[in-house]
This record gives sequence, structure tokens and C-alpha cells, in this order.
Amino acid sequence: MEYFLQQLINGLTLGSVYGLIAIGYTMVYGIIGMINFAHGDIFMVGAFVALISFILFALTAISLPIVLILVLLISMVFTACYGWTVEKLAYKPLRKSFRLAPLISALGMSIVLQNYVQAAQGARIKTLQPVIQGGFNFFKESEFVVTLSYLQIFIVLVTIFLMAIFTLLITRTALGRAQRACEQDRTMTALMGINVDRTISMTFIIGSSLASVAGMMFVMYYGVIDFYIGFLAGIKAFTAAVLGGIGSIPGAMLGGLLIGLIETFWSGYISIEYKDIAAFSTLVIVLIFFPTGFLGKPDIEKV
Amino acid sequence: MDKNFLQSSLKDSLFTGLIALALFGPIVGLRTVAVNEALVVQPKWLVVALIVAFCAIGRFFINIYSFKKEQRRGEPSSLGKAISNFLDTKGSQIALGAIIFSVIFPFMPFADRYWMDIAIMMMTYIMLGWGLNIVIGLAGLLDLGYVAFYAVGAYSYALFAIHFGWSFWICLPLAGLFAGMFGILLGFPVLRLRGDYLAIVTLAFGEMIRILLLNWYTLTKGPDGLTGIPRPSFFGLPFKRYPDEGVETFHTFFGLEYSPMQRIIFLYYLILVLALITNFFTIKIRRLPVGRAWEALREDEIACKSLGVNPRNTKLTAFAVGAMFGGFAGSFFATRQAFISPESFTFIESAIIVAIVVLGGMGSQTGVVLSTIFLIGLIEVFRDFESYRMVAFGGAMVLIMIFRPKGILAKRKPTITMVKEK
Amino acid sequence: MSEKLLSVENLTMKFGGLIAIDDLSFSAMKDQITSIIGPNGAGKTTVFNCLTGFYKASSGSMFLNKDNKTLDLKKFSDFKVAQKAGVARTFQNIRLFPQMSVLENMMVAQHNKLMAASGFSLLGLINAPSFLRKEKEAKEISKYWLDIINLTNRADDNAGDLPYGDQRKLEIVRAMCIEPYLLCLDEPAAGLNAKESAELNKLLKFIQKEKKTGILLIEHDMSVVMGISDHVVVLNYGKKIFEGTAQETKKSPEVIEAYLGTEE
Repeated sequence: MEYFLQQLINGLTLGSVYGLIAIGYTMVYGIIGMINFAHGDIFMVGAFVALISFILFALTAISLPIVLILVLLISMVFTACYGWTVEKLAYKPLRKSFRLAPLISALGMSIVLQNYVQAAQGARIKTLQPVIQGGFNFFKESEFVVTLSYLQIFIVLVTIFLMAIFTLLITRTALGRAQRACEQDRTMTALMGINVDRTISMTFIIGSSLASVAGMMFVMYYGVIDFYIGFLAGIKAFTAAVLGGIGSIPGAMLGGLLIGLIETFWSGYISIEYKDIAAFSTLVIVLIFFPTGFLGKPDIEKV
Repeated sequence: MDKNFLQSSLKDSLFTGLIALALFGPIVGLRTVAVNEALVVQPKWLVVALIVAFCAIGRFFINIYSFKKEQRRGEPSSLGKAISNFLDTKGSQIALGAIIFSVIFPFMPFADRYWMDIAIMMMTYIMLGWGLNIVIGLAGLLDLGYVAFYAVGAYSYALFAIHFGWSFWICLPLAGLFAGMFGILLGFPVLRLRGDYLAIVTLAFGEMIRILLLNWYTLTKGPDGLTGIPRPSFFGLPFKRYPDEGVETFHTFFGLEYSPMQRIIFLYYLILVLALITNFFTIKIRRLPVGRAWEALREDEIACKSLGVNPRNTKLTAFAVGAMFGGFAGSFFATRQAFISPESFTFIESAIIVAIVVLGGMGSQTGVVLSTIFLIGLIEVFRDFESYRMVAFGGAMVLIMIFRPKGILAKRKPTITMVKEK
Repeated sequence: MSEKLLSVENLTMKFGGLIAIDDLSFSAMKDQITSIIGPNGAGKTTVFNCLTGFYKASSGSMFLNKDNKTLDLKKFSDFKVAQKAGVARTFQNIRLFPQMSVLENMMVAQHNKLMAASGFSLLGLINAPSFLRKEKEAKEISKYWLDIINLTNRADDNAGDLPYGDQRKLEIVRAMCIEPYLLCLDEPAAGLNAKESAELNKLLKFIQKEKKTGILLIEHDMSVVMGISDHVVVLNYGKKIFEGTAQETKKSPEVIEAYLGTEE
């Protein structure tokens, strides 16, 4: 029971991270109908920017809460530039091309990002000293002590906070309206005088900055990153997006939490070596039997 | 060039510089280095300054160039067209020339060990490209897990050869069949998925196979890999300097001086023959009903259904045939290396093969050859800049897609004609 | 009176809460042209999609009389309707294989026959004479149809490069290559000019008279409908509101009301 509770806490934390990345997939898919293959690597870049900022701020005497906010903002801004650039280079020139073309160029972009970070930052793993320490302990008298760390609380709270802001942004602002219009019909939206290019750019920027927050959480939670983390995290987050119903933002969050839980419970109870297999098989099973996900719209084949 | 234009392009380049600063500032400018087990930051501002200046100035010149181009618009970009026209008209002669060249290649004066190794590697990629061309180019199924079949071929070859001691010519077809069956097994559930979903699922399958190979220690020896895979022999004659007692070797049988190059040359011809078989098979099957159905499915699946073409079976055959050739190539890889480990079968291999097919021009056999020479050549040229070669590779993928989204050779020849061929 | 070819009974198709076809019954005769007409959104194309297996009907039944056997069309999924039951169709927004040549389009339509002849490609790979003979036959059949629509000289051009009217006609003869018992045409005259639709009429008459193939036709162009239909079914909001000959249809008050509205 205690063990179960601990896995639940860990799973929800991990799920928040996946959910934040999944939002980027789902938004981009919603607006241009394509998978952003480079999104996982954007998450990785975000993690690196956060790592570097943490190291720099460690030299100063700024208090922890302010450091956290600063790192958050810095990684969001810098990583958003990456998202913007990926869209401009790999997607925009190919918007009217045949379907596989942008997939290939995004794949190329993903290879570039991974190896560029490897070249610039080195291939060895990077470790970060714990930034937030301590936590609450429960069931102290039992054999297995359940820990809910402050860091986990921080991660979940930030995720909820960002989700709330973000939902407001999509449902209440002109940008959100433009985005939803672009999803329905891009040509018509352009005819209504909305700058479609800018709307698509904004989608990539928002998705990337959320991924960078996920990256920051990741580096704080695990304390270890390398240039390759984007690949696996990307696939898992994509699974989350599909599971929740691709195109649906609450779905992405829900899917993220589910994938996080599946992964932790699998490693906790079944086999840690095959924990990635759990994520991959979930992906395969979901796509084959359940392609619309929980909150997605059914996709009727138009004849 | 008026003043307004200059002003706006200056502004634009400044903006580009700013973006470049944001992109490269933290990642390149602040390199994290471990000192005494703690990370410190090493600033590299000069490099960043150079990159930013390069981006800004480059952007400025691109602006001016494209402004000039705007003035003399109408000239189609000629190089690609010229190449494809040339290849269209002289296609068969060039193909013949290329085959002759590859046959006499080992006897060229410059063909030393280094060149032979590169040639063998390129041939392997060409074969894989031709195999995958059936799946992606003809049937239009974006398979990002092709390396899985390569791995299945290599491992099944190795296991057959090590445990049963069967010869190359028995293990090779078995490994190919095994990989093909694997293709059917994997393809069966996933082939009704839409394009990009199929891509992701095949990618996941590819990774699952790799994880399985890594962890199934009793069968695959995990990360240690399989060693001692028998080297191929020339119809029973081994390539060895000091053979076991009473065993005739290749050099003694033909009365030659022993040279390690003999085995390399044999391997080269082996992969050349395998690749050519793949090529001729593909050319032939494309003209058969099943090949035409592959292409029709790529064009319009719904129309195919309305004509009574079974989409699932047709796609499955493409998947299985592609997987089989992947398996053949895997067998060759295993026997050439004599050692295989899961490290050789990562996602990046799949990406390289996909890039070869798509950049060559979907469905074009000659295109595969050209893009292999270009891409693998690029990786080779950058060999000394270890970490930058994949950056260059990925960059080339993006650039070719932007400038020639249909690949180097985009033109398709009909598989059957009413009028006799011109 | 000729034989009954197709009988649709109590066919209903629901999408969620929307009833696209409501308890529809009608039948089509062998070697006759039966037209389904109705305002936009009346559910005409949905009827086709149910018949040809692209949609699974919510309830009701569809039977096809083929060589004195009665086939339940509901039992056939998409491609099997064409392969096993011999029901061919065309599409409202032409679906050719645009990057393949005209002749290749015709050959793909003869896929099942050729596939069997190629011995699942094995005989084909070794250029077996039996396969080459079949392939030549298939080419001849293609030429026969292309001659009829005057496209033989463009047989080696990409289908996507043909003018619109030719693409329509090609799609129809391509469907004929599967040697269907029932040919379902979804607005074949859409976008054709007067001369082209006259040619179309001729082609459809030819198919009906010479090939003894039943035709089910969805059409808005009344000159086509009135010119060639033996029988007309009128739909509105998924319901059948009238059934009769072309002449009767023209005079029916229900039909006029559905198209023009009522006088207040």
C-alpha cells in the first residue's frame, strides 16, 4: 500500500513533465496536421538552458524562489527561439509540399539539434546538484516510508498553474481564437484577415516554451541529462498526446499523467529494464485500437 | 537597389543576428564542463560572436541575392532539371556504365583498403535504400523502423551460423525469410494507420526490437553483442593465411599469394551481387500487378478499394519484401563484421536509410544511388569532425527537402506503355 | 419488364444523432439506368457509401442478384464489394491515380484478375507465358475502352494531366474494367459542358445497352437525368419522396416542392 502510494506520487510528477511536452505535440498537430519530430529535442534544449542557468545562478546570492522564476523565464524565452526557428526552417517552406516532405525535414532538424548540442556541450552526461531539497514523509512507523518531496509539489503546482494560464489563453484570447480557426480552415482564416503565419509561429513558440518548462522540471527532478533525452521523452509525450486524443489540450495533460503512471508502475512492479517497452507498447496499442484517444474527435473517412 | 530595401534588409539581418544570439548564446557560448565532479561554465563568447556575425551577414547577402533574383525571375532552377533530363535520356547507358565501373572498381589503382571499406559500406546502404524504396517509394508507407529488419536479419544470421554452423548460403536466405516474416508480423496490425501514425509506430517497433536485443541476454548477449560470427568463404574455400591442417584455402586453391584484400574484394562482390539482385527484383516487380497496386495505393487508397484491390494484403507484401531485403543486408553486415551488437541498429540508421530514399526521389532506383553517394560521402568527408558530421547530415536533409522536396530525381516512368518505348 | 438487380430495403444510416438515410427502400433493374436525385445533403452519396461498403449501414438490407444468386451486400467490406460482388463506383471528386499513366489506371482496375494470373507474382517474375498472355489481354481490354472514349492516343500520359472531362470519362471506363454487374456513378456530369455531357449520355447508354450493366446514377444535371434514366428515385432529408419514370418525376408535386419550396 505504501509502495503503491509512492509510485502514484512519482508517476503523477513524471506525468506532469510528459503532459507539458505533449501539449506542444498536440497543438502543432492541431494546427498543421503534422507531428513535430523535433519537439523532443526542443525539450532537451530547454533542459540544457535550464541547467546552464542554474549553474550560473548558483554563483550569485539570489534567493531560491527568485532563481526558480528567473530560470523558468530564461529557459522559456531561449527555447521558444528554437521552436520558432524549427518552424521557419523545416515547416514553413514546405507547407504546400507533399505530406512526407515536412516530416523528413523535421527529422533532419531533430538530428541537427541532437548533434549540435552534443558538439557544443559534449557527449557526457551532465549532473545538477539538487536545487530543492526536503519534503514530507508519511507512514514513518511503517516499513516503507512514503516521501512527497517539495520538488514534486513544486513540479505539480507549476504544471497546474501553466495549464490554467494556457487554457485561458486558448479559450479567451484573440490568439486562441485565431489558432482554433486555423485548425478548421487555414485558407478561410487567412481570408478573414488573420495572419496565419504568425499564428502558426506562435503555436510553435508556446509549445516550445512549455516543453522547456518540462525540460527544467526534468533536470531538477532527475539531476542528470544528456543530449539524447529528447528522443525517448519525445516518443513518450507523443504517446501521451495520442492517448489523450491528439488535438485536445486537456487530453494531452490527461495522457501525460497516464503515461507517467504507466511507466512508474511498470518499473515499480514489473521490470525496470523494459520500462521503455511499456511506453512503446502503449503507443502501439493505443494507435491501433484507440486512435482517437480519450478526448479526441472521431475521424470519419471522407469518401 | 533603393534605400528602403537596404534599410529593411539591414533590419532583417540585425533580427537574424539577434535570433542567432539567442540560439547559440547559451548552448554554444556557455559550455558546461565537469571540474572536480561539479559542473562549471566555460564561456566561449568569441565563437558565438563569430557565428552571430556570420548569420547576420549571411542573411544580408541572401536578402540582396534574392532581391536580384526577383528581378530576373522566370529562369527555372536548372541544375536539378539538367541532371534528371540527362539521366532520363541516357538512363540505361549510365546504369550500364555504373555497373561496369562497380565491377572493375576493386582493380582500380587507388582502390586500397580505405576505399574498399567505403565502397562496401556505400553498397550496403544502397541495398538497404533499394529495399526500403519498395516500402516508402513505391507503396508510400513511411517506415521509420526499417533498421529493425536489418537487425533481425543480422541476428538471425549470426545465431544460425554460430549455433548450427550452417554456411553462408543457407543462412542468408533463412535470415531474409525470417526478416520477411517479421515484416508481416509487425505489418499486420499497423498497416491500416495513416501516414504519420504509421511512421511513429514503426519507429516504436524499431526501438522495441533494439531494447529487446539489449536485454534478452541469454539469446543475444545483450550489450556485449555476438562475436565469432563465421566469415564467409568462397564456395567452401576460407580466406585464411594459416588454415587448419588439410583445409584448402582460397589463395592456395587458386595458387595466389595470400593477401587480406582477397577477402575484402570477395565481400565487395558479394554485396554488389546482393544489391543488384535487389535492384533487378524491384525493377521487375514494379511492372507486375502487385507493383502497380503498390503505387496505386500510394496515390489513392480509396480508389483502390473501389476497384477491388485489397489494401492490407498489398501493403503487407510491400512491407514483407522490403523487410526481406533488409534481412539480406543484415546477414551481409553480420558476416562482414563478424561481430554485432545492438549499437549498430539505432534509430539514426533508420533515419539515414529513409533520408537516402526520400532525397533520391521517391521510387527512383538511380536516385537512391546518387543520394547514398552524396549523404554517406558527406558523413565520410566530415569523419574527422566527429561531432559535426551528423549536424551536417541533418542539415543536408533539411536543405534538400526545402530546395528539392521531391528528391533529386522526381520523374517517374510508367510501368507499361501503349506505344512501344521511345 | 427486366429482372431485378439491386433491392435496397429499409436502409437507415445514422451518424451520431443525425439520420442521413431514413428507412429507404428502392430497387434497380438489370440493364436499366436508375437515377437517384435530390437536393444537396439529401443523403445520395451516403447511399452509395453504404452500398459500396465504405460505411456500415445502421440497419436495413441491400441485396444484389448476381447470376441468379442473391448476395447480401452488407456482408462485404469495402474492397470486397468490388472484388466479390461486382459493384463498381466512381466518386464525386474524381479519384484517379494522378501520377500514373492512363493505361496504368486501367491496368490497376484489372488487378485481381492479373494478380491471379501472375501466380502471386511468382509466375510474373519469371515471365511465364501464361501471365504475359493475360497481361496482353488486359492491355487489349484497356485499349478497347480507351478507344471508346477517344483517349488511346493519351494512354501513356499521366492521368492527372488530362482535361477535367476526360478524367471523368476515364474514371467511368476504369470502373468498367472490373466487369461490374452494377455501376454506381456519383455525379458524373458535374463540371462538364453541354457537349461533354452529351458524350457522357452516349457512353452511359452504350454501357447499359451493350454491356448489360445496371447503372445507378446520382446526378444534378437534369438534362442527363431526364435524357437517359429509366427510373428515378427522389430523396429529400434522407427519405424517399418519389419514385417513378423520368416523365412522372417531372410532374410530381412533391418533387417540385422539394426543389423549389412551397408557396406560402
